[in-house]
Amino acid sequence: MQLFRTFAILSTALTYLLIFIGGMVRVAGAGMGCPDWPKCFGRWIPPTSLDQLPEHIDPAKFNMVLAWIEYCNRLFGALVGLTIAITLYLGLKHYSHLPRIKWPLISAFSLTLFEGWLGSVLVDTVLNPLTITLHLFFALIIVMLLLYASQEVYYLENPDAEKNSDYPSNMQLLFGLMAVALLAEVVLGTEIRGGLEMIRKENPMVESQFLLDMLGPFKYAHSILGLLITILSIFIWHGSVKRSLNPSSLMVQTSTTIVLLILLQIVLGEILVFLKVIPLIQLFHLWIASWILGLVSIQYVAWQRSRVTYE
Amino acid sequence: MSRVTYYILIMIIILGLGANWVIEKANRSYDIPLLRPVPEFSFLNQRGESFSNENLQKKITILDFMFTSCTGPCPLMTLNMSSLYKDFDDVQEVQFVSITVDPSIDTKDKLREYAELIGVDDGRWQFLWSDMSAIKDLKKNGFMLYADDLPQGHAIKFVLIDHKGNIRKYFDGTDEASQKVLRKDISKLVRELRS
Repeated sequence: MQLFRTFAILSTALTYLLIFIGGMVRVAGAGMGCPDWPKCFGRWIPPTSLDQLPEHIDPAKFNMVLAWIEYCNRLFGALVGLTIAITLYLGLKHYSHLPRIKWPLISAFSLTLFEGWLGSVLVDTVLNPLTITLHLFFALIIVMLLLYASQEVYYLENPDAEKNSDYPSNMQLLFGLMAVALLAEVVLGTEIRGGLEMIRKENPMVESQFLLDMLGPFKYAHSILGLLITILSIFIWHGSVKRSLNPSSLMVQTSTTIVLLILLQIVLGEILVFLKVIPLIQLFHLWIASWILGLVSIQYVAWQRSRVTYE
Repeated sequence: MSRVTYYILIMIIILGLGANWVIEKANRSYDIPLLRPVPEFSFLNQRGESFSNENLQKKITILDFMFTSCTGPCPLMTLNMSSLYKDFDDVQEVQFVSITVDPSIDTKDKLREYAELIGVDDGRWQFLWSDMSAIKDLKKNGFMLYADDLPQGHAIKFVLIDHKGNIRKYFDGTDEASQKVLRKDISKLVRELRS
């Protein structure tokens, strides 16, 4: 059981790291670093020189740095898949009688296989923007499922964690709205990035600071939804910290961290829009969004837990 | 600050530095080799004007070999070349050159009709013709491309030529991923030319 807990946390952490690495591949422009899948230029270890390329692949596509970046992403993806598989095995071994642990793990593992396949589709379609968005979307779902399973295990070991806390009972709608708004915001964000690439393709010599001006109303939708998310997060914070009795420290910490991270996101987003499209900031803007989603999921499960204990 | 927060912060800084290094490394990885100069040639374009290797100077050129009645890979090559022609329309430093490998059929008039058909309305895309032996010689000995079985056996490569008339790189003219790399490389050469 100790081992299962370790693996549940490990697979969650590694999936977060994989989202970071995937984002890095994207901002480094290395998505087509390997033009075939699962091998890279027909080899299990990417080539280090032009004469190692197979005949049927155009050598113009070979860039050793990009090939290795993309290949590390795939290797790490395989490692994460393996970790999730072990977590699933241990979970089924110890908790197959508990649907709230069993099913999230089975879903996470199945989606991980699906993600691998989606990775191959990405290469086949030469990075189709919609597929890129789906690839990220399901990664976020996987990480939330793993977090959920980890949190449930935590409550098995600490059944009284939310026993004394009393949160407002009418927060269901707030959490639902927040989850939908956050996922939509991430999708809008990736659409902005995809849109910028489309404009760059048609205007190859335009400097990046002018690209955003050419983007149109998309970027406003992202900002407006961002504002809505900020308001929602403050409402949820107010409900779960201020209007509640004996909120657990987990609840207080996640609620406060969410508000702080959202403010940080606004700052990062404005830097991208008004100063410069800096790849490293794009990467963190996306990665922090995945943390916020995870924290909201923790918040929701904690809130629900307090009600279960009560009833 | 709690120990955990401290560790998380340190890890984020390490990740940030690592990612920054990788992104920098990726940005610097686009080197375009210098292969060989295009040899002297002097052909005629679709308007009957002379076009020689001198016209490659001070321009970034994308060049291919084609013939107008080709039904194999050529339509896809033309589509890709047209898409470049359209997208680089405000970049005066970029020009396109298509050399026919079937000069007995692709006369000056035929090439002009073809150019009009695919929407070429300015001097940025030239269609060249000459006698077969000169074309064969340029293709085989100048561009090092297969030229034994013309017109059918023509190469599907797009050749990227820099502003000094040097061949820099070959691209598969029918492959989408290769086209993406070509776009990047053209932009890079134009930036170098401008700076």
